[in-house]
Amino acid sequence: MAILARIPLSLRVPLFAAILMVLAGAFASQQVLSTLSRVQDDRLRELAILHVESLSVALGPHVLREDIWEVYDVLQRASGERRGQRMVFTAVTDRDHRIIAATDPRRAPIDEMLPQDLEAAQSPDNLSIPGDGARLVLTAPLAYQGRELGDIFTELDVSDLVSERRIAGLYLLLGNALATGVLAVMGYVAMRRMLRPISRLAQRMRETAQSPEPIPEDDIPSGDTEVTRLVQTYNAMAWAIDAKAETERRLAERERFVSLGRLSSSLAHEINNPLGGLLNATDTITEYADRPDVVRQSATLLKRGLEHLRDVARATLDHNRLDRSSAPLSHEDFDDLQLLIGPEIKRQQQTMDWRIEADDAAIARFASAPLRQITLNLLLNASSAAGRGGKVELDLSAASGGLKIEILDSGSGLSEEAEYRLLSSGPVQPGGGVGLRLVHDLVAELGGTLKAERRDGMTVISILVPFGDPEGRAAC
Amino acid sequence: MANINRRTVVSGAGLAVTCLAYPALARTTFRLGLSPVFLDNNAIVIEAIQEALEASLGVAIKLEQRRTYKEVTGLLLEGAVDAAWLCGYPYLQHSSQLALLAVPVWRGRVLYQSYLIAGADNPAASLKDLRGATHAFSDPDSNSGYLVTVSDLARNGETPDTFFRRSIYTFGHRNVVRAVADGLVASGSVDGYVWEVLAAQEPHLTKRTRVVSKSEWLGFPPVCARKDRHDTPLVQSFKTALFEFSETRLGSQVLQLLQLDGFTDADPSIYDGISARMKVIETLR
Repeated sequence: MAILARIPLSLRVPLFAAILMVLAGAFASQQVLSTLSRVQDDRLRELAILHVESLSVALGPHVLREDIWEVYDVLQRASGERRGQRMVFTAVTDRDHRIIAATDPRRAPIDEMLPQDLEAAQSPDNLSIPGDGARLVLTAPLAYQGRELGDIFTELDVSDLVSERRIAGLYLLLGNALATGVLAVMGYVAMRRMLRPISRLAQRMRETAQSPEPIPEDDIPSGDTEVTRLVQTYNAMAWAIDAKAETERRLAERERFVSLGRLSSSLAHEINNPLGGLLNATDTITEYADRPDVVRQSATLLKRGLEHLRDVARATLDHNRLDRSSAPLSHEDFDDLQLLIGPEIKRQQQTMDWRIEADDAAIARFASAPLRQITLNLLLNASSAAGRGGKVELDLSAASGGLKIEILDSGSGLSEEAEYRLLSSGPVQPGGGVGLRLVHDLVAELGGTLKAERRDGMTVISILVPFGDPEGRAAC
Repeated sequence: MANINRRTVVSGAGLAVTCLAYPALARTTFRLGLSPVFLDNNAIVIEAIQEALEASLGVAIKLEQRRTYKEVTGLLLEGAVDAAWLCGYPYLQHSSQLALLAVPVWRGRVLYQSYLIAGADNPAASLKDLRGATHAFSDPDSNSGYLVTVSDLARNGETPDTFFRRSIYTFGHRNVVRAVADGLVASGSVDGYVWEVLAAQEPHLTKRTRVVSKSEWLGFPPVCARKDRHDTPLVQSFKTALFEFSETRLGSQVLQLLQLDGFTDADPSIYDGISARMKVIETLR
């Protein structure tokens, strides 16, 4: 059964049909042979009964008078001298099986006991042709005028019937083998043809296992058969998967901007706050243009303010630059992250510990984009969870075989839904947490592991991303 | 009636003449009894005899065949037949009532022999070697097919029942040859003339037998009539017809089929040999 289960359906069904054809052929042959055998038996039985009855009538008076010559003469005339005759030998005995006369007196001499080879004789009523023997012996009582005078034993030559049966069997076997062979092949071809759309569907599913592709309209079988409906259902499913993938892609894209969206308010403050001082500086320069010292002091102030604005703008731009994926991770990326998260920390009046212990060489083995996105999303979530006056920490260290990033917050811990989004691969609804599913997907792409735990009253999210190829960076 | 033409009238007249003539012919039908000494299984022989006799006698001939000598002799004695071809033995049994009409001439003589035959592979050299065997007789009233062997046994104080394990009657000399040839019985008593004719006509049959011994020459089976009818014109015409067989075409044909030379008058003394054998078995009784 295991072997059978390994055979593809497109082969198994036609083979099964072929086997059924062969079985049907064999059954039909058996039925025909059995009918032939029955007809032959009936014919022979009829012949035997007729033979015995006519002999009884002819022999009765002679046996009664013990007229041996007449018994012999009747037997001789009854057996005839034609070639290919059915009755090859007949003997008449008294009730003690002592020979009165026989067609071949040398084989059965008068007054002697019946030859042993004739003892195993069949009665005409249940006479049946043996499967292999060429001759059979039948016996019937010799009755005359209501008296049983003795017995008649007749040896029948049934070689022609046995041969006829054998030849019929052979022809049947050959004919049926040919017919079932042709039918089996036709059945096989027809089944293969009928199952071709399913085979094509299975092949398509195998080839496009990662992203199922719909089957072209031209290849869909015409009509409203089960197969047509199956292919149409498959196509609908493939389109649905496409649509879902697109939705997820858009969702991921959106999640990437969510972090910036969350930061936009505090970043606006970060830009707006120095703007007042900068405008004051320009007013001072305008008003005290003739006082070089005041102008110089204001210009210095102006420069420092503009540099801060430039840093904020650069950090934001860097985060969204499309070609940054290939750039290596550096300490500047963490400075940018600190700059980006800083206003939010300040707004929430939180304290932040920032520990970067990994060296440049270890950090540079990773691409910057995915790790920046992961870290920023987790920091935003940590800040949100820590609440006003809370505490957020970042620990970056080189662990054995990889880079370890730990984000800690003083919040009450991950909700069940947030933990599901962060740690599992199951389907999720949009929203809830700042790109936690994106964090999960990015870490998975990097071949890393994610862990969430509570430690000393803090919520700790640990990420371990392994070092990839020393030359190439773990790209997202 | 208007449609009756000349041919119809002539045909009708012919039919009337035939019908008138038939009773006259029927009254003069000659009836001849035949017995198994004869090759009575041969339809051609029967037809030839009938044709030849009808041609010679000019009357209808009715051939009466019976299975046994006793039956044919009975027919002759009761007058149911005008003449019969018997055997020397029944002729002698009823010699006071029967007269010899004619005796066949075979190989120039009115004599024949009885053959004791056995299967071709049977090594018996004489009758005594057949003790305990199965034996076929032709007819209990046959000279060659019974009397000769039984009288031989009687001379040794035996009867068929004491000498043979079993003896059967086949009621035909040809049947005796068949019974021995087929192996139904080991030996048989047969008319020597019949065996010789069979040897010429059916050699495949006689080839499977061999003659163990032959009897002395005895009188050939005669054609007899009742003494009281012997001198009637029809019986005399019949006798003459037999004597003249060798001179007529149809008669010669019969003689050729029977392998006989002709028919002749013979003295009853040719049956003395049979008579002597009859005496032997009568003493035993």
